[in-house]
This record gives sequence, C-alpha cells and structure tokens, in this order.
Amino acid sequence: MNTIKITINDTVYDIAINTTILEACKEVGIEVLTICHLEGVSNVGACRLCLVEVEGINKLLPACTTKVAANMVIRTQTEKIKKYQRITTELFFAERNHVCSVCVANGKCELQKLGYKVGMDHIRYPYLFPSCEVDTSHAWFVLDHNRCIMCTRCVRTCAEIEGAFNWDVMNRGNQVRIISDFNTPWGQSTTCTSCGKCLHACPTGAIWPKAIVQGQLEKKPEILKELVEKRKMNL
Amino acid sequence: MDNTDKKRILISPVTRIEGHAKITIQLNDNGKVENALFHVNEFRGFEKFCEGRMYTEMPIITPRICGICPISHSIASVKACEMIQGIQPTYTGNLLRRLIHLGQNISSHALSFFHLSAPDFLLGYDSDPAVRNILGLAASHKEIAVGGIRLRKFGQEISERITGKKIHISGIAPGGMAYPLTEENRLALLAWIPEALHTVQMGIEIIKKFQEENEEMIASFATSPTLYLGMVGKHGEHEIYDGNLRFIDADGTILQDQLNPAKYLDFIAERSVEWSYLKYPYYKPLGFEKGIYRVGPLARLNVASAMKTPKAQAEFEAFKKINNGKPVHGTFYYHYARLIETLSSVEEAEIILNDSEITSNKIQTHGRWNNSEGIGCSEAPRGTLFHHYITDETGKLTKVNLLIATGQNNPSMNRSITDVAKQYINGNNIQEGMLNRVESAIRCYDPCLSCSTHAMGQMPLVIEFINSEGALINTIERL
Repeated sequence: MNTIKITINDTVYDIAINTTILEACKEVGIEVLTICHLEGVSNVGACRLCLVEVEGINKLLPACTTKVAANMVIRTQTEKIKKYQRITTELFFAERNHVCSVCVANGKCELQKLGYKVGMDHIRYPYLFPSCEVDTSHAWFVLDHNRCIMCTRCVRTCAEIEGAFNWDVMNRGNQVRIISDFNTPWGQSTTCTSCGKCLHACPTGAIWPKAIVQGQLEKKPEILKELVEKRKMNL
Repeated sequence: MDNTDKKRILISPVTRIEGHAKITIQLNDNGKVENALFHVNEFRGFEKFCEGRMYTEMPIITPRICGICPISHSIASVKACEMIQGIQPTYTGNLLRRLIHLGQNISSHALSFFHLSAPDFLLGYDSDPAVRNILGLAASHKEIAVGGIRLRKFGQEISERITGKKIHISGIAPGGMAYPLTEENRLALLAWIPEALHTVQMGIEIIKKFQEENEEMIASFATSPTLYLGMVGKHGEHEIYDGNLRFIDADGTILQDQLNPAKYLDFIAERSVEWSYLKYPYYKPLGFEKGIYRVGPLARLNVASAMKTPKAQAEFEAFKKINNGKPVHGTFYYHYARLIETLSSVEEAEIILNDSEITSNKIQTHGRWNNSEGIGCSEAPRGTLFHHYITDETGKLTKVNLLIATGQNNPSMNRSITDVAKQYINGNNIQEGMLNRVESAIRCYDPCLSCSTHAMGQMPLVIEFINSEGALINTIERL
C-alpha cells in the first residue's frame, strides 16, 4: 500500500493515499464530529461539523471530502474549530423546530448528542420557527420536516444502497426541503420500496416508524455499511 | 342595581395553586359582596398546535401540559390512541399503567395537602403569610412536612422504577407499556408501603382534627350544592384509572350511570365566558344554569358506592356520615376526600405490586390506524379528564379537544368563592386572613390552571379596590 506522511495534532502518521482526512483521523483514533457523514454512502460535506485546519490554507476544510496529501499538517481540536462546531450546532437547532422533550428520538438522536458534545447550553441565534409539513402519508413511516437538518443521508442511502432514488432535495437556503419523487406525498411515491433504510440513515427524529412511541425508537445506521460490505463480498 | 354603585376587589395573583389566576370581587354600594369571578389569564394552545401531528405522539406531547398530573394526560391520550387503533392493552401493560397512575395520584395529592394546604390547617389562616408554607411547616411540624415530602417522592418513584423518569415519563404506549417492572424494583416499591400508609393516616388525623375544631366554619364554607361527575367501576365502586362515568344530583340521586366516556359529548357541553380563558362546561341535559357539576376527589367519593380497599373503605364510611349518606357539598371536604383517595391509592398500589403478573414481559400489543376518531378518559387527581382526537386516514390529527378537570370545576369555583366572599368580606374592611379564605376556597379544588389553559407562580398578593369607573381607590399588598 502506498502511504504518505501527514501530521495530525502534532503527531506524524503514515496514511494510505486517497484517504480522506476523516478516514485518516478515524484510523488513528482521533475523533472528528460529523453528522452528514454516514458509513456506506458517499460524503457531501454538507454539515460542516468536520471542518479542520490545514497548515498553509487560510480556510477550514471539511475532513470528510478532503483527501490527505503528503506532509499535510492538520489540526482538529483548535479553539477556532470548537467555536465553529458550536455555531453550526446552534444553527441546526435554530433553523427548524426541534423539541427534544416530545420527540420520538429523544435519547436516541445524533443531533441531541451533538448538542451535549459541543456543550450547547443555549442558542444565541433567533429561532426561525418555520411552518413545516409532517408527511404521514406513508403506511409505515412519518417524515417530519420540523426535525430534518438536511444532512441528506436519506437521499444518498436511497440512491446508493437501495437504488430507488425516492428522496431528493428541492429549493435553496432555509426553504430547502427533502422531497419524495417529484414532491409528492411519500405515501404516493412510485419509487419508494418501503425498505426503511432511510429510517436508519436519519440521524434525528425526522423519519420514524408509526408503530413506535418515544423510548422505542431503534435506529441502526451501522447496518447500512454492513449491507454495502456484504454486497462487495458478492455472496 | 346601577353599575356606578358597584366597586370591585381584585385578588391577583392567587397563590399556592398550580398556575396563575386572579379573583375579582364585585361589591355593591352598601359594601356587600355581589358577585365573585375567577379569572384564568393564561393561554396554552395545545389543542391548536397539536393539529398536524401524528396521533401516536400525543401520549408524549400532552403530558407536557402539566408537571403535576402528566400521567393522567398520558393515560387519557393513550386510551384515545387505542380507540383509533381498535386494540386493548395487555394485562401487565394495563397493570403497570394503573400502578404509575396511582403513583401520580399519591404524589399530586401529597403535594396538594402537605405542601399547599396543610400550612393553613396547622399554622392557621391568619398566621404570618411569610411562614405559612411548607418551609414554615417544616420548622414547626417537622415529621408532617418531611412525611409529606417523602410521600410525594414515593409516588414519583413508582414512575421512576418503571420508566426511569419521575415526571415526564416515556413508555406509556398504545397497547400497553414500553418498559417492564423488574423484580428488584417491585420489591423496592413494596418496601415504601408501610411508611406511605403511616403518612397518609397522619394526614387524615390532621384534617379530621381540623374539621372537628372548625365544624362551624366548615359547615358554612362554600357549601352550595351541585351535581357531581366521577368515574366508577362496574359495581359503582371508586375508580380512577379505567371505568365508566356516573352523574349524581345534589341529593345523591343517580342521574346517569355507567356512561361510556367515549360518548361524553352527549352529556357534557361547554360555553366560553368573556372574563376567562377557562371554558364553562355543564351537564347538557340540565342546561347551563342548572347543569353545574363538580369533579375531583369530593365528586368521586360522592358518586362512588364503595372504595376498593379496606382502610379507605373505613374512612369512606366516615365520610358518608358527614351528610347522612347524601352527597357532601362542603368544598372544604375536598381535602378529606383527597386523603381518602391517597389512602386508597397506596393500598391499591400494594395489591398491584403483589400481583404475580406485574413483572411479566408481556407488556404491549401492537396495532395501527383503523379509526379516525379516538376518545380517552382518566380520572386525573383534580377530576375527570377527556382527550378527544380526530385524524385523517393517515393518522394525522385534524382536531383535538381536551376537556380538563379544572375546567369542569370552573363554574363551581366561581360559586364557592362567591359564597366565601359573601361570608367574610364586608366592604372596604378587609383583612389578609379573610382574603386568604377566599383563595382557600379555590385551593380546595386544587386547580391546575396549567392543565386547563399554563405556569407556576408564587408571587405577592395584591388586592385592588377599583370603582365602577376603573379608578383605583385602595390597595392591600401581601408581600
């Protein structure tokens, strides 16, 4: 394997070429915060939580979509990065209507865990309180746009693992929304296979099964990567 | 009488109740009380903002209405969900929910009696308001105050031992419960029973002694007769978790029995009033004027034919003797009724904890949307509670109606404070202790304004004398 030397947080490592900074950090046991990253599907650098400092570059780079280069000097734990992670997390909460206390994902939510992780004790930005639809049209699942953070993990999972291409994205800015087919109610989708993979991909309570209540939600995003690995084995 | 001859006395806010309210007392030109109005000036809007949500979220959303009786909301809500799904909970699931509901009844009643009301009885209505509270009680009657606080803790620990949380629990799910009770937790809860029984019985002694010593005051304290509504079991026995409804009139005659709560709109109607966010419900067949009814502990004991447990039954028989077997109308007896219910709840909790199925893992059946309408009912600590949901064919809520206990007591609370105000207030000659009795009439109902419209407030009492033209002519403050 061809490797190159890089420095992460003042320690030099040998890392395989074509590795992303995020993969490199994971390989050497350095935690980098992410939420749009999902093992088994491609990276899009949407959430901006995994931003890292790279010496010689005057802007922060997303670790999930930036590949390592020889002699790269990377820092993942600077005060600047922590500040940006906190800002990003607060903006997630301010943008839509996240009410953990009554959310089906309370205690099982990646966004909630992120809030604890970055020490978010309050939100400095005004809440937008947008009026968001709750799509209950599917027989088994609910899509609650109030709790969606536009990580697009569901979109990539549906396209890359299930191959159904049910989910997509419409609009821009804070009007951006996940859509089913060409913006039809999920229950009327002609492409959805009702496989439920998007449920496991979703990091929050935005997609959840109708049959459960708070305390019963079990999301297993790790099974998506397992599926991909099993397919590679061509069993 | 010409309005220009009238004066108003304003008590705002009313203290030591759950939520904010104020009382206006209207005087005539002779300084006599003409009328009293109980204003609830909070607005919550749950019925509106729940529209558009999935019905299965309601057992988690609606308990947030109140931190005192969240379980009752969960129970009423989950029953409505089960009606929508057309399913029944499992035996153990039902038993666990009943146990949690009893726990909440114990903690809520303990709060009402030991924390909020006992200072009046043990320290006196006219004692210094600065010490007439649970802390003042702890200084002078340590065993009672600590016992009350621990009794409340026991009630909440039942929830915690089953679901991991004391107050806003999760796990009450359509079809039963999400969490079982472990043997270790069952034994831990059983160990509480002797102490809980002792504390309740101590409370009963306090209230009985106070009743004996203040017979004259109690006999004339807000005693206007009303109808009563309460849940009963198949044989008319006292019931707070699951049963049908019984209406009785002021003489104790059963007007309607074994009413299916799902048909509540056939016998209860509501009317809005301009001075309060609380609606005025009434017994439909008798109309708005004659249909005033009460709910809550006094109503439940008045409608019940018997209690389910021996110690509570003995107290129930003593309670029934107060008015020779007829309904007890004295508002003050809410406290006694509340303690009898607490005794019953502790005894029933012990029975359930000894049920061989209580630790079973068969805790939930599963269903899906089948009906567009669901109605659930439970007896909250403060009275009968209805949740009524209408959904579209995907399960999304299109209409929510929550008929809350305090709302149903609203017309009677107005009547009670008018009674007390007439008795204790005479023109501008108003003493703090007298006004506290007016408030006390409200507190008998243990109103939860959070539920009915909601916020907890412990603020100074300000009484304003305002003439008919709105000018402030006198102010009394209780700091």
